[in-house]
Parts: sequence; C-alpha cells; structure tokens
Amino acid sequence: MPAALTHMSQSVDGLFYWVLGVITFFFVLVEVLLVGFLVRYRRTKQNLVGAAVHGNNKLEILWTLIPALILVAIGVFSVKYVYADQIAPAKPVVIQVIGHEWQWEFKYPNGVDTVNDLRVPAGQNVLFDITSADVIHGFDIPAVRLQQDAVPGRRTQFWVNVESQFVGQTFDVPCDQFCGPGHPTMVAKMQVMSPAAYQSWLQTEKQQQNSTSSNS
Amino acid sequence: MEAALKPPRRSFVREWILTVDHKKIGIMYGVTALFFFLLGGLFALLVRTDLLSYKGLFTAQSYNEFFTMHATIMIFAVIIPLLTGAFGNYLVPLHIGARDMAFPRMNALSYWLYLVSGIILLLSMVFGMPDAGWTSYPPYSVQSHGPGIDLWVMAIHLSGLSSILGAINFIVTIHKMRAPGMTYTRMSLFTWSMLVTAYMQLFGTPALAGAITTLISDRHFGTVFYNSAQGGDPMLYQHLFWFYSHPAVYIMILPGFGIISEVLPVFARKPIFGYHAIAYSSVAIGFLGFFVWAHHMFVAGMAMSTGIPFMISSMIIAVPTSVKIFNWLATLWSGSVEYTVPMMFASLGFIGSFIIGGFSGVIVAAVPLDMNLHDTYFIVAHIHYVLFGGSVMTIMAGLHFWFPKVTGRMYNTKLGYLSFWLYFIGTQVAFFPMHFLGLAGMPRRIASYNPIFQFWNDVSTIGAYMLGLGTLVIVSNLLYSAKRGRKVAANPWGAQTLEWTISSPPPEHNFDDLPVVSSNPYQPYPEPNANPNPTPSPTPAPV
Repeated sequence: MPAALTHMSQSVDGLFYWVLGVITFFFVLVEVLLVGFLVRYRRTKQNLVGAAVHGNNKLEILWTLIPALILVAIGVFSVKYVYADQIAPAKPVVIQVIGHEWQWEFKYPNGVDTVNDLRVPAGQNVLFDITSADVIHGFDIPAVRLQQDAVPGRRTQFWVNVESQFVGQTFDVPCDQFCGPGHPTMVAKMQVMSPAAYQSWLQTEKQQQNSTSSNS
Repeated sequence: MEAALKPPRRSFVREWILTVDHKKIGIMYGVTALFFFLLGGLFALLVRTDLLSYKGLFTAQSYNEFFTMHATIMIFAVIIPLLTGAFGNYLVPLHIGARDMAFPRMNALSYWLYLVSGIILLLSMVFGMPDAGWTSYPPYSVQSHGPGIDLWVMAIHLSGLSSILGAINFIVTIHKMRAPGMTYTRMSLFTWSMLVTAYMQLFGTPALAGAITTLISDRHFGTVFYNSAQGGDPMLYQHLFWFYSHPAVYIMILPGFGIISEVLPVFARKPIFGYHAIAYSSVAIGFLGFFVWAHHMFVAGMAMSTGIPFMISSMIIAVPTSVKIFNWLATLWSGSVEYTVPMMFASLGFIGSFIIGGFSGVIVAAVPLDMNLHDTYFIVAHIHYVLFGGSVMTIMAGLHFWFPKVTGRMYNTKLGYLSFWLYFIGTQVAFFPMHFLGLAGMPRRIASYNPIFQFWNDVSTIGAYMLGLGTLVIVSNLLYSAKRGRKVAANPWGAQTLEWTISSPPPEHNFDDLPVVSSNPYQPYPEPNANPNPTPSPTPAPV
C-alpha cells in the first residue's frame, strides 16, 4: 500500500490488517477443509457411498452464531473510525475542491485559485469542501485513504492532518468516479508543504494571480 | 404402436418459434445467452487488451463503450437470463413434478422480450454504443451524446419486463403447481432458490424501471430529476438504481447456490447437509438483500454515519451465505467424492473462488475501509470473484451437470477438465492481482493509467485470455457434443431429483404419470452391494 500520510490513515490501515487477519484465518480454514475433504473422501473401491447424514443442529447454530458475532464485531469496531472521519476539527484550513470535466480546481482561503495543483500545510487540520461544476467526480486521495464524490448541487467534506515527515513530497489525487473520456487523466498533484512555505506560496500566488487578472 | 410413440415431426417454426414448452424456452434462453456470453467476453478481452499498455491501446471513448457493453451484456443478457431463464425454466417444472409453467404463453413472451432486448444491444454496436458504464449515473448519462444511452435504456426496460413476467410465472408455478406430496420442504433446493429469486425480481425490478425512465425523460423531455441547478438531485438515481441492483447481485447468485446444492450431494453420494438451513438462508438473503443497497453509496454524498446501518446490514447478510458454505463443506465431509466435470466446477471452482469474493465483500462493507477502496480496482476484483468465481462457475457446473439430461448425450470429459482448469487458474490470474492494484490506489474505469500499475495489469490480461480460451473450449465442446456426443442413459449421475426419473431428453409432456412425492430428493445412497443402480427414492408412481 502507498504511504499513509495521516494518523487517521495509519489507524485505518491498522483496521484493514486486523480485518484481513480475521478473514485470512477463515479463508485458509475453508480452503483447507474444501481441498482436504475432496482428497480425503474421494471415491475409492472401499468408499463407494457417502455417510447417511442429513445435518446437525448444533453445528448449524455454531456456524451461524460465530460468523454473525465476528461480522457484527467488525462493523461495530468500524463505527468509531466513521465518526472520527466525519466530525471535522474546529477552525480548519478550508480548501474548496471543485470537479470539472476533466480537472480539479482548488480555492484557498485567501482567494488563490489553482488547477490540478493542491498544496496542503503539514501538521494543520485541512478540510476539503467538495462539489462539482458538471457531472459527478470522485475526489480521492489514496495516500490519506479517504475520498468523497464531488456531486453537483451538493457539498461533501473530509479532513486531513498530514504528518510533517512528508513535507516536500507529492502525491496523486485521481478522480475515481467515472466521468467520461477525460476520466483517466483527471489527476491532480498534492504537495505537502511546511506551514511557512505554504503561507509564502499562498502570498506569491495571490500576487501573481492579482497581477494577471488586472493585466487582462 | 411404434409410430404412435414417435413425436410428430414439426417444422422449425412450429418446433421452436411458436413453442410454449418450458424446456424448449429454457434451451432457447440458454443458447441465446451463450451467444451473448461470447460477445460480452469479447468486450472483456478488448478492455483487458487496452490495459496491456499503461497508455491504453484504444481511445478512452472506445474503452468506455467496451466496459459499458461488457457489464451490460454480462449482467442483463447472460447471467440473469441463463440462471433464471435457462436453468429456472428448464428445471423448476421438472423439479416440482409439473407439466409446464403456470403461464406458458407468458413464458414464451418473456423469452422474446429478452431476445428483442439483446438485439437492441446488438444494434447499439451499429448506431452508437452506450458509454456511461452499466450504472449509467446522471448527470454524465444525461449529457452523453448519441443514441447509445437511449438504446441502453430500451434494452434494460425490455429485459426488466421480461424479468418481471418470468418472476410472476415462477412464483405462481412453484406455489400452485407442485405434484401430489411435494410439500415446500420436499422441494429441491434449486426450486427454493428460484422462488426467492423470483420474489426479488418482482420487487426490485420496478425501481430500476423508475430510475431509467426518469433518466430518459431527463435526456429528451426536459425534466430535471437529476439536474441540480433546477432542484433535481443525481443521488435519487443512485438510490433507485441500487435498490434494484444490489438485490440483482443476489438474483445473479441465488440460483447458482441452488445449482451447487444439487450438484454436491450427487457426486458426494450423500444427502445434502442441512437442507432446512440452506433453504431458509436463501429466504434470509432474499429479505436482507433489500436493506443493503446504500453500501454502494458510502462516499456518494451521504453523511458518512448514514452508512453505518448499511454497513451492519451488509455484515449480517454475509451470515446466511457463510451458513451455506459450511453446509456444503459438511456435505463433502465423509462423502464418496467423484471428480466429475460439474463437481470440479462446483467444488474447487465455485467454493474455492467465490469465498474470496465473499471475504473481500466484508472488507468493502466496512465504511472506513470503503472510504479508501471505493471505485478502485479492489471493487473490480470483488465483483469479478463474486460474478465470475461465483455465478459463472455455478453456471458451468450446471451446464455440465444437466447437459446429458437436456441432450441425451455426453460431452467430451477430457475437454471438460481442460476447460475447468483454464477457468480455475484463469480466474485467479485475471482477478487476484486486481486486489493489489486497488490497494495501490488505481481507480476503476480508466483507459490509461500510471505506469507503476502496468505489471499487475499485464498479469491480469493474461488471465483474461485464459478465460477466453476456456470459454471457447466449453462452448465448442457442448455444441459439438449436442449433435455428436455419446448417448447416455436417463440418469448417468445417479441423481435423485425428479427430472432424472424420465428419459433424456424428457418427453414434451414431462411425466407419463403424475409423480407422487414422499420425501425430499436428498436421501442416503444405498450400499452398492445392496443395489448396484441406486434408484431415486421419489419415484413417480401412477395415481
């Protein structure tokens, strides 16, 4: 799996490996029983008919209840992650995300507007406020293990807090909801910056964008 | 006397085109669906061929049309018609000891509607193919130009109408036309699964019809159901669509579960383990199947916590499925397992592959994990393990199991084993690497991709070619053997359901005498010394 940039994504990976462990155990159990029974009870001259067994209620209860308990446990255990993802922290940096056919537009708090160029300050809570200008897109950042669809007429959100060890690195931000012929190339780049570098980048961008707009 | 026993010679038109015989209609469903299986497979190979290079070998527009046609054909023109139309039509009246379906003419109408729906899909290859995926989400599907989406809507409407008529037919037939003594708990497990499937089709399909009717209305009649600028909401479509299309996943697997429950006990020479548990778990799946639809929409714009009840219901629906798996394993336990071709498809092929799809389903049912994996190749891996490792494996088990009943002949078993291994290995090679791609962050439905994903994509394409080869072997083997295969007796497998008590192929009127049933068709097999030819216990007796 790719790098996990946030504390949240690292704990979601933990949940993934925990669930993977549980299902791998049962996967191996079922495959071993399947292949084992196929080989052990194959038809031979000594073994021409199977046992006259119709069922066993104790076993039925056992293999209904055990998977039910484990599955509901996985569900219940996942709930706290959902709320942690959903409830945004107070006073985050809000970056508006707008999906277009076929590019991502980002609007920063000071009015700076970029295309396919996402910059996030490390160590700060950043909230993405996501919508679409045309069709449905999917705003997905695999490196933080989160995504929300960009839906016209609707705002979706998720928040991240990228760890400072990733400063200077760049990550892909693909559209993952099918949106037409430009869908495969609708990929933004997300650059993690130190808060200071982020601020100075915002200032420079703002001056440049002001001068271009006043020139035109 | 002899002349009187011979069926009268009829013209092709009278024999097939005008027929209302459930067996002939079943065969026509089967042959038509196998043709579409080849076509849908061809589109799959085009999709995989495009992905051989990270740049994509075709244009993105062509690629979008290919995967849309692939999924639409496979779901609406292959798997559903094969399982319900072909297997259901052919077997249900025979399994319950009936002369035909309750409404034979309506049954023929279902087939002809299905055929017209398929022809419309074929026409779209001439006039312009749909390009919005089989889900066809608005607003993209409203904007998409050309007749592709319109033809798609027409085809889905007709296929849905065919489904609804077929479902009514199955429900009435199973409730009303069972032979004397055929109580509900003496029905075959395949009949149980078809009954539940029919109810799901009846209740689910109208929601799909609503979704696509509003879609075409937005496209051409100026309505704004899905235009958010004028107060519409694209999410409405997704709710309507998945209210049908999640139950449709179970429509595409429950009859397959029924096939497995018929094949395993015959070749393990044992009664099925846990008859009631398997029958009632189908009912549980049918009921719960209507409460999980929004797990397709965890990131679609709902509040994340709204996903929690759907996560819990999706976890719970895995329970009746795992109950079936354990009962099938227990059926093999202490059996006398014969490695026939249908048994290989049913045991190693189906159980061995399907559980991977079941387990990955648990992962993507968990909201926090789906936040990462939604719309990635992990989902593509999951659906293909469920639909190919699941549904298609059960179809192949069923085709190779009932082929001698339908044709009175046997296929070439060497080619049968060859196709099984091509299918089994091809499934793993084609679909397992998609898990890695999804975890690495590769989105689905993209015609070109980041070069870091190339290796596993190429492996997957090789697996897809193996599946294509396996399909050619199966289809040519069965087609050739239907005319030239070795003739076999009425019950070559020693199976116990009612269709094996009559000749192969069965006479047009099915049973010479109305069968009287005194037990379910899963009885212990007698010791070989006592009786070398095990006679099925529910023997038809004159009334």
